[in-house]
Amino acid sequence: MLANRAVIKRAGAIALAVSIIGAGASFSLADDIVITDHENREVRLPAPAERIVTIPMPMASGVIALDGSDSKLVGLNPLSLTAIREGILGKIFPEANNISDAVTSTDFMPNVEALAAVNPDLVVQWGGRGPEIVDPITNAGLNTLLIKYGTEDLTRQYMTMVATAIGKPERITELVEWRDKVEKDIAAKTAAIPEDERPNVLYLGRSLSDITASGSKSNYNAWYIDLTGGKNAAAELEGSVSINREQIAQWDPEVILLNSFEPNLDVSWVYNDPILSLTKAAQSKRVYKMPLGGYRWDPPNQESPLTWMWLADLLHPEVFDYDLRAEMKKAYKVLYNYELSDADIDGIIWTAQQGDAAGYDQFKAN
Amino acid sequence: MIGLTDATVRFGNRTVLDRLTFEVPRGRSLAILGPNGRGKTTALRTMLGFQPLASGTRTAPPVVGYVPQYASSNQSYRVLEVVVMGRAAGLGLFGQPRPADFEAAHAALDQVGATRFAQDRFDRLSGGERQLVLLARALATGSDVLVLDEPGSALDLHNQERLLGLLGMLRRPRDRAIIFTTHDPNHALAAADDALLMMPEGGCVFGPIAETVVPEHLERLYGVPMRSIQVPGANGRPHDAILPAFAGYPAA
Amino acid sequence: MAATADGVADDVRHRGSRAGALAPFAVFTALLALSVLVSLCVGRFSVPVPRAIEILFSFITNPGRAIEAMDERIVLLVRTPRVVLAAFSGAALATAGVALQGVFRNPLVSPEVLGISQGAAFGGALAITLGIWGIPLLAVVFVSGLSALIFVGLLARIDGRTEIITVILSGMVVGSLFSAFVSLLQFIADPNSSLPAIVYWLMGSFATATWERVLISAPGLLIGMGLLWTLRFRLNVLSLDDAEARSLGARPELERWMIFGLVALVVGSQVAVSGIVGWIGLVIPHASRLMVGHDHRRLLPASAVLGAAFMVTIDTLARTVTAAEIPLGVLTAIVGAPVFALLLRRHYRDRSAR
Repeated sequence: MLANRAVIKRAGAIALAVSIIGAGASFSLADDIVITDHENREVRLPAPAERIVTIPMPMASGVIALDGSDSKLVGLNPLSLTAIREGILGKIFPEANNISDAVTSTDFMPNVEALAAVNPDLVVQWGGRGPEIVDPITNAGLNTLLIKYGTEDLTRQYMTMVATAIGKPERITELVEWRDKVEKDIAAKTAAIPEDERPNVLYLGRSLSDITASGSKSNYNAWYIDLTGGKNAAAELEGSVSINREQIAQWDPEVILLNSFEPNLDVSWVYNDPILSLTKAAQSKRVYKMPLGGYRWDPPNQESPLTWMWLADLLHPEVFDYDLRAEMKKAYKVLYNYELSDADIDGIIWTAQQGDAAGYDQFKAN
Repeated sequence: MIGLTDATVRFGNRTVLDRLTFEVPRGRSLAILGPNGRGKTTALRTMLGFQPLASGTRTAPPVVGYVPQYASSNQSYRVLEVVVMGRAAGLGLFGQPRPADFEAAHAALDQVGATRFAQDRFDRLSGGERQLVLLARALATGSDVLVLDEPGSALDLHNQERLLGLLGMLRRPRDRAIIFTTHDPNHALAAADDALLMMPEGGCVFGPIAETVVPEHLERLYGVPMRSIQVPGANGRPHDAILPAFAGYPAA
Repeated sequence: MAATADGVADDVRHRGSRAGALAPFAVFTALLALSVLVSLCVGRFSVPVPRAIEILFSFITNPGRAIEAMDERIVLLVRTPRVVLAAFSGAALATAGVALQGVFRNPLVSPEVLGISQGAAFGGALAITLGIWGIPLLAVVFVSGLSALIFVGLLARIDGRTEIITVILSGMVVGSLFSAFVSLLQFIADPNSSLPAIVYWLMGSFATATWERVLISAPGLLIGMGLLWTLRFRLNVLSLDDAEARSLGARPELERWMIFGLVALVVGSQVAVSGIVGWIGLVIPHASRLMVGHDHRRLLPASAVLGAAFMVTIDTLARTVTAAEIPLGVLTAIVGAPVFALLLRRHYRDRSAR
């Protein structure tokens, strides 16, 4: 009897040891995906993420583009959702219209219960903006990837991180290569443009209720205005602040860019205003609302090179002649595997509202 | 003429005034006496029309010259501005005081002997001086009824003398009904024709002062033995006075 | 006796004080005129002073002319309505503050204390969330400002007579409630088109001033201020306690609510076009009292003029010091709070010296 019990005990111990070793072996045999995010945190995924929540606004369409489908996106920012519904992405990926936007408020404050309800295996959130918007997610035990906004380099880095996270690192390579090529092409040509031939460009972050503009530091809009051969008319500002029309009159910009966040805003707002209609920009009909494609073209996103081409064509038609329609069709095939129609393009670049703006002739359909 | 008939006032279950009846015609002056908490203030407020009656009636002219014990405002008005407020009733909601109103205010200040304060700030005056200004304000209303709330209680002796002199002066033309509440029966003797004694058990005694401001009634009123005495007045004539038995100090 | 100007030379026995009584008014009016003139001539867009004056002059002499040039448009379509709106609003808030401080017998009350400003702001936020703009929005703002006042009245009812301390507490409760509702709306609203407007309003600004907004808010502001001005003597009477006021022929409770209604009209009109602006209703009456005394017949007009001058000056700073617009609430607090502290110290020093 005693001997049997001892044998059983020993057998149990051996079995236990084997299973532990076996498990350990299987552990070390799998490749974890390891990413270092923008706050130098190590983010580990045992397998490519299948259920992603994106709190930063451009990342929702970014994930869709990188994955080529909307199936991995389970939660997004309310403003990403409006962009999908108002823009073409909702047409290309109809089910994206129904993804939950309850997971966060527009100021990036996460709703942990809603987050938990969609059961994500990865949550993408802004880094560098304080722990209040991050801690609730990490405390809930959810895998979090923190990304930072501001420059083209940062953008490429975080798009790479997300592509890696969904297991499609090769996908990002082609997108980054595209961005790099277009950037270098444009920069090469604008490097030669002297200061006094660079038009003053004013981008208005908000217009209808309260007018805002931004200085140049850590400002993506200012970066690509400079890239495409323009000057930020609001360079003297610190950060993003409210301004008044008299200040705009004083700057007297040569080009005015309106944001694509306010659906009720179009270029007639400038032409109907007694002060703004007397600016150089209005007098020469160089007022353009930023297009809304797979995402809004104002902030950094997967379609940014199209933004740069569009703006370069408008700011310096004597130097650039990108065939925007062709480029857009190419890009949408690669990004979303979608055949862009001419009517689609007109909707994206607001041909109906600003087709008669200076330089828009070149974007006309053939 | 001002008065109450069968006036009853209740606060919750407590009946403060029970079928109180008295009247003060023009030319008479009434002193109201009673222990603390008995309802002197309530009677006053009822007469002024601030206190709703449970039953009974109140008779009074539309505007009554009211002299409160203390000024309630914390604003630093000038004395003249305070007095001219007395003219408000005649001006309507949107009216502004006219020169005639300022004349009336000056006249009232003259009457109480406070003209020299006219431009001073009210809150910088002494208690006695303020009372004069409030009296002037009540006079400025032009009402022929004057109601004073414990006018002597907060004054020093000098100011009490002045106040009694003023009340006597106002009484002499016999063109006003004057009512005042007081703790001091001698003030009643000095300045009133009639007295209303509000007894602690609930009843009231009303009548001319010769019949009411007497030791037997006052003893019931205050619960302390009272003595009537005669003292030589300042002008040589003898004065009747009433003192509580505890006044002063046992002589050797 | 010599005929007298109301509230100025009533004390005919003190001849020297006629000039003395007028002096503060003259100073305030001069300050207002100066601040308005300076404000019309300065701004981020450079318009030389002679040219600005020329523009103003030709507008006054020939108002029907089309306004074509940029500098004309800046002066006449951007600066002038803004200055007018700022002046009206400053006067209105100061007047409202004087009326409230008199009726409450408390120097620390202002439209924000009663919850009117917060109620009006909630109306504005709600309208924006529902997509209501223009005149209907202004109507909603005004109605919700008034309703805040009515809630205060309902909350404070005791024995059919409203005690003043209870009204103040109720005002604080209602004000906090409406502020919370605004925050709630912020949370719910679609952030890109409506949220910024909500936040923007709560900080107060005249940046969106146009002649249209001036015309919309002017009737409420002018009628309210006008009626309060006619009640200036009555305010003296109402600043006494109810017993004294009644004995002087007033009906304090009814008249107090009249004044509250006028204050709501004035404050609602102001919040509707420029958001919540604090401190003016609190500080300006105090500053005026130091110069002209407590009598409301002088205090009310003096505060209105001083309030207008102050607001115009503050708004000029807000739009010219930097390229960005500085929110009004920030500036009024930076200027108002230390001034208030000084006033408070002096008040207590005076009091202990008595």
